[in-house]
Amino acid sequence: MSSEPIERRVTYVGDRLKGSRCPFCGKEYFKPRRYCGNCGRKSLGKMEEIDFFYEKGVLETCTIIREPTNRFTKLAPFIYGIVSFHNGKVRVPGRLTDMIVGEEDVSLDELEGREVVPRFRRRYSVSESDIIPTISLAFTFADEYYPYQQYEILKPNKEYDSPGIVGYGVYVSRFRIKEVGMDRSVPFIDEDAITAAVEAGKLALIHSGVESRLIGKVYVGTESNPYVVNPIASKVAQVLKLGEEGSDGVQEVDAVDTEFACKAATSMFKDAVALICYPKDPMNYVMVIGADNAQAAPRYEPGGELDYFVGYGGAAFIFGKRDVIAEVEGWCSCTSDTPDFWRRDLEPYPRHGGRFTGEPAYFKHIIKAGRKLMEKMNLKPSDIDYFVCHQPNPTFPVRAATLLGFKPEQYQPGIQVTKFGNTYSSSSLIGLAAVLDQAEPHKRIMVVSYGSGAGSDAYIFVTTNQIKDKRNRQKFTVKYQAENKFIKYIDYATYRMFKEGL
Amino acid sequence: MSSPPAIIGVGRTKFGEHYELDPEDLIDEAGLMALESAGIERKDLEACYISDYLLQLTNKMGLEEGFISQLLEMNIPIERMRSFSSALMNACHAIEAGKYDVVLIGGMEKMTDRWSKIRDDLMLFMDRWSYHTGGTLESNHELLLREYIRENKISGSDREKLMLTLAYISVKNHGNALWNEYAHFRREINVDRVLAARREERKILGTYDFAPISDGATAIVLASPKKAKEYSGEPIYVLASTLVTDYISYPSRPYRTGFIASRMAMEKALKMANISLDDIKLLEVYDQSTVLEMISLEDLGFIKSGTAWKELYENFKSFNGCYNLCGREIYVNTDGGLKADGNPLGATGGAQIFEIVKQLRGEAGRRQVKTDGDLIYGCAQEMEGFGTKVYIHILGREKHE
Repeated sequence: MSSEPIERRVTYVGDRLKGSRCPFCGKEYFKPRRYCGNCGRKSLGKMEEIDFFYEKGVLETCTIIREPTNRFTKLAPFIYGIVSFHNGKVRVPGRLTDMIVGEEDVSLDELEGREVVPRFRRRYSVSESDIIPTISLAFTFADEYYPYQQYEILKPNKEYDSPGIVGYGVYVSRFRIKEVGMDRSVPFIDEDAITAAVEAGKLALIHSGVESRLIGKVYVGTESNPYVVNPIASKVAQVLKLGEEGSDGVQEVDAVDTEFACKAATSMFKDAVALICYPKDPMNYVMVIGADNAQAAPRYEPGGELDYFVGYGGAAFIFGKRDVIAEVEGWCSCTSDTPDFWRRDLEPYPRHGGRFTGEPAYFKHIIKAGRKLMEKMNLKPSDIDYFVCHQPNPTFPVRAATLLGFKPEQYQPGIQVTKFGNTYSSSSLIGLAAVLDQAEPHKRIMVVSYGSGAGSDAYIFVTTNQIKDKRNRQKFTVKYQAENKFIKYIDYATYRMFKEGL
Repeated sequence: MSSPPAIIGVGRTKFGEHYELDPEDLIDEAGLMALESAGIERKDLEACYISDYLLQLTNKMGLEEGFISQLLEMNIPIERMRSFSSALMNACHAIEAGKYDVVLIGGMEKMTDRWSKIRDDLMLFMDRWSYHTGGTLESNHELLLREYIRENKISGSDREKLMLTLAYISVKNHGNALWNEYAHFRREINVDRVLAARREERKILGTYDFAPISDGATAIVLASPKKAKEYSGEPIYVLASTLVTDYISYPSRPYRTGFIASRMAMEKALKMANISLDDIKLLEVYDQSTVLEMISLEDLGFIKSGTAWKELYENFKSFNGCYNLCGREIYVNTDGGLKADGNPLGATGGAQIFEIVKQLRGEAGRRQVKTDGDLIYGCAQEMEGFGTKVYIHILGREKHE
């Protein structure tokens, strides 16, 4: 049984690591307070709001928890300790995450003194009917898989005639399972679609340099929201402070979740662009996130065939008209009532149409949307530099690309399924990001998503000169995540346990 | 000697698991014993101060005062505090203010009634944000130890000596409890056992480094100096009663290699009692862990900061019941301390007072300490939370001619 008011308060402060700073003596506090202990009443009402969400801390002291309190049973054993920010001005308790503390002894001496980055994660286990508690007092080492990156605001420079992508971020977890020639990303036990969405959005803000308050709307496309009712987008908006932040704890932003299997996010690209172009009240920026902890029944159970292919991750794209890195040139979508993959309410895992899913579902829609868009824009496959499509397994995207007339050098850069698995809503988006990570200016990219149910969204993007300028703003690229030396491979049992979560 | 309030009777139950008893059964037993030892009747009581840390949670008892009123079948003022030391301090204030002459102070706890959730509850009480990030009761002690190790640059074989010293502290306290008929644990252990527990549990500090979760009750009768003389041949005076508080959150405290509250409370207590550290030969420290016994000896001023591990290590080479610290002979936790006597939170402080009274009166039986010269003073340190509140009480008897 949880208390919704308490949950709201802990989460509001803990997700963003909100604090205060005294404008007179510089003393800092976690959590926020109205006056400074040193300076007393003269500081009342004058304390500066700060937060440690994008900061780097130091793990000062730690110990290993093998006998946890009840709610942490699934997380144990883990490292717990004291983390300081700003040279010891503030100290907070914290748990290290993304770490499997095995049977072997851990040298605490070697952990203490190292730099850590706060991570937004689930806090602990609660009963199925409770609000899911989250917190950013979970940390990973800054010199390992997830690097410390400053969120540096870019002053808007060039304005384009038509909108496009101004920044993006991809988040894939540190853990992988290697099977049948594929690496697949696996969430740590405290991760889910919510944490991936927040993480991807954070990385997109860092890459774009866009002020979070200028985002007018955020869409989160997912099919693995751990809630049936309660949006992920509201969490993203609050944690990332999208739109103007009110002193009443309410963000002036529109936020909504969308669902259409694996095309829930790509579908909203055109909506984002439309909002930016609406002449009477245009939005500055719109964020579109696709995030999934791709669900699959355990193998050998009905629906278990998906268990060989599912991944975990999120991708976020910020659209706008200023400092665009890839303009949207055109789009085309198609839809039919083809339920080749579905999940009924209260069912834990999706079902799958088997042989049915390829021919009359996936290929039919991808080919149609891709061909129609090329026809519409009077383009031949040779006019397009890169082709990316939805990637449910390693063979489908290759066949779809070939059927559309693309050559390996056009489609290979976008194929990421062998590194991360099928990340559902973010599958084609991660492919697009991988291409954007390497594309030169003035290159044409075609993306075709596929969502069961069924439908496809095809888009053409053309990169601009600014794509190279912004590239050095993101260390956490798709390639970096695919080829990172801190990737941790786990076995099937651990994979299932992690995927089920807290 | 001026005329502070005096203890004229003490009582307690055995600490441990009391599966068949309700909390009020326990306090009943301890209270009766205290009244009998004071030689007074219920009708002599003018007020009652009771303590429990979390009966509201463990036993869903909201109005403890009503239970006591019903047991006593009296309608006197009764107030509930969170620790025995708090009850004692408040009772002293009332007597010193001239409000009452005879009061009963009782403490009780029934922790084993909430066995499966008690560690979560206690951690939430100790510090919410630490709880939210996975902290446990034990982890704070381990963090304190690691802060101590780093601050004092203890490494290599010195680190081993420190860990061995902590093990000896546990062995010493278990040894002391052998002759304490009320103790939770009355069995001898050895250093290997302490070390083996740490090894098997793969933790810095193991089962034998920590005080257990116990049920139990304690009670004393406190009287004004005038009344004390009437009732008792050997009143034990409360010469000092101090309380210092500290931040709820251990990580956010500036001083983390000990408890600033212990230091300040002790300084104030010595001034209040107008005695020096040299006068104290009997000490009850709040050893929720072996680390806390070691750290407290530093915090209370008996050993220089950062050196207790070394001094105690030397002491344990040929230990004969008392520490020899900087030339001072001092008996610590002669009843077994929280480690072996037990730790039913609201009653724990009462057991410390019980032990000091018994020792000062020379009634401690096989536990009776043998000091050079008279044993006049005893000192008890009790905490609420992890150094969040520290109470120091100094007790003393009149010098015999």
